[in-house]
Amino acid sequence: MKMSLVVRTTTKLVAPFLVTYGAYLTIYGYESPGGGFQAGVIFAVSVILLMTAYGYRRTRKRFPLMTVQLVESSAALFIVGVALMGLAFGAFFLNFLRPYMPGGTVMTFNIGVALKVGTSFVLVFYIMSRWVDRD
Amino acid sequence: MIAVMVALPLLFAFLTALTVPLRMERYAKYSFLTGALSPWLIYPFLEKGSEVVGGWPKIGSIEVAFDAYNSLIILGEFILFSAVALYSIIYFKKEIKALVLLLLVHVGLLGAFISRDLFNFYIFMEIASVSSFALVGFSGGKEATRAAYKYLMLSLLASYFFVFSIGIIYLKTGYLNLELVSQAPPSKEIRAAVAVAFTSLLLKAGIFPLHLWLPDAHANAPSPVSALLSGAVVKAPAYGMVLLSLYLPPPENLRNALLVLAFSSMFFGVGAMLLERDIKRFLAYSTVSQMGYVLLGIATLNPLGALYYAFAHMLFKGGLFLSAGAMVDKAKTRELERLSYRGDPILMTSVLMLSLAISGIWPFVGSPAKAALLKGLPYGKELFYLAGLGTLASFTKLNYYLMKGEGKGYGFTVLPSLIMALATLLAGIWLGSSPKAVDAYLLLGGVVLFLLLRTSGALNAKLPRTEITPRDVNMGAALFALFLLLLLHLSQS
Repeated sequence: MKMSLVVRTTTKLVAPFLVTYGAYLTIYGYESPGGGFQAGVIFAVSVILLMTAYGYRRTRKRFPLMTVQLVESSAALFIVGVALMGLAFGAFFLNFLRPYMPGGTVMTFNIGVALKVGTSFVLVFYIMSRWVDRD
Repeated sequence: MIAVMVALPLLFAFLTALTVPLRMERYAKYSFLTGALSPWLIYPFLEKGSEVVGGWPKIGSIEVAFDAYNSLIILGEFILFSAVALYSIIYFKKEIKALVLLLLVHVGLLGAFISRDLFNFYIFMEIASVSSFALVGFSGGKEATRAAYKYLMLSLLASYFFVFSIGIIYLKTGYLNLELVSQAPPSKEIRAAVAVAFTSLLLKAGIFPLHLWLPDAHANAPSPVSALLSGAVVKAPAYGMVLLSLYLPPPENLRNALLVLAFSSMFFGVGAMLLERDIKRFLAYSTVSQMGYVLLGIATLNPLGALYYAFAHMLFKGGLFLSAGAMVDKAKTRELERLSYRGDPILMTSVLMLSLAISGIWPFVGSPAKAALLKGLPYGKELFYLAGLGTLASFTKLNYYLMKGEGKGYGFTVLPSLIMALATLLAGIWLGSSPKAVDAYLLLGGVVLFLLLRTSGALNAKLPRTEITPRDVNMGAALFALFLLLLLHLSQS
């Protein structure tokens, strides 16, 4: 199912800005409102917008299901891995990166959470459109 | 260190999920088994005590503990999950999604059992129950999907009320950590919140009038999942009730109401078991009855007794469901009359051992657990023994039907149930109970009661195949609302 030219062009224009805003929220989430989850939702929204404008099949060509699954699982592995890495420095979930990085592990966690949440939402929409969308 | 026990299965759950996009499905089995068994490596090194995750300040952070209250129940979960994992790699051959979901149930249960923080407890309980909704409907059959839907609706309703009560407690005290919450001055609002939390946990634990979702969900799930659901998943809300009663003890009225509920649940379960002809529904109703015992410990402010019984129930109900699974998967029917353990002495021994354990006969784990419960029971010991007699009679019925029929070998699938049967024996000896004359009388009485009921023809009544239809989720919700009002009223007066 294809939307009109206006919708498609607008989506094309808006989607990159959404991704930029999501990246901003991820990186500054540790000291301002926002954070991994919110940014992840915005990432997902940009892909879902493309899906509504261009249909499931064309979006899936650009963002294949396999890649989405891969990013989802590896982001989760990354989060647990960082939590476990704290063990080497003393405690589980220890903020061991604080001296080297603004926000320490909080920022790395935000990046992991943003990727995980974003891809999970995209995955949910992919699986649901398999039933609904027949383009 | 305590939290690592939860992190390892979580890590391996995602590794197992990662095998699908990487097209390495054949290794999923190994990463699943590693995830399932890895907490065993940490268990011996755990020290008793509590710790705050990551060394952050205690207010507003996550506290986990490993102490006399939860060490036993965690051990029970390990044993049960190891047996279920062994059964699952035979049962779910190519279904990697199911393996990942099983590991997530493992994570959720362990996380719920170690947390000392209300919100964290809720999150982990939800991880376990959301994964179990998916697992119940996994086979994709019409019955299973309906059961999963009912389970989903009623359980989520209860969850939202539980979050609501956590919200009230947080508003009133400013803390989520249970130890800090318990130091706040008592107030009406906190008592109301405890009543709301108890109602929702009662539904999730499947106690009698709110058990409507339980028989369908536990009976229609795939066999290893049924073992995990009945054995362990209903223990998470029970553990929540224990936590609440430890730190925010419910008032006298509420406790009396819980005592009544506990006894009615015990007897209702027994009654339904005596009439039921479907082996998995039979065991599911047995869970309703046995959760009554756990609630009894909570209502009499005997948390250790409740947790001992929860541990014991994990072992024997998990084992019984695994043995039932071995028979059901081979015979492709759940009718008690058409199943049999003849021809497989190992399965026969384990079913007999597990039946004795669930009835609380001496060398098995049920006996010390029941003794621990009886210690805290002020009155009503006769009712307690009567429920035990009913359990014995219904398990005599199970063995009576299973002894008939022709013999068949079950091969490798009996191994998990044998592990559980041996675990009940070893745990019974380890927890240390003494042989009592009452056991022999009860055993005899149970057999006689069953024969009497059978000759009198009382067991021929037919039970409906499903507890409620999907349309009647409303009925469950209405019952829940009524109970909520009742417990709220009792907590305030």
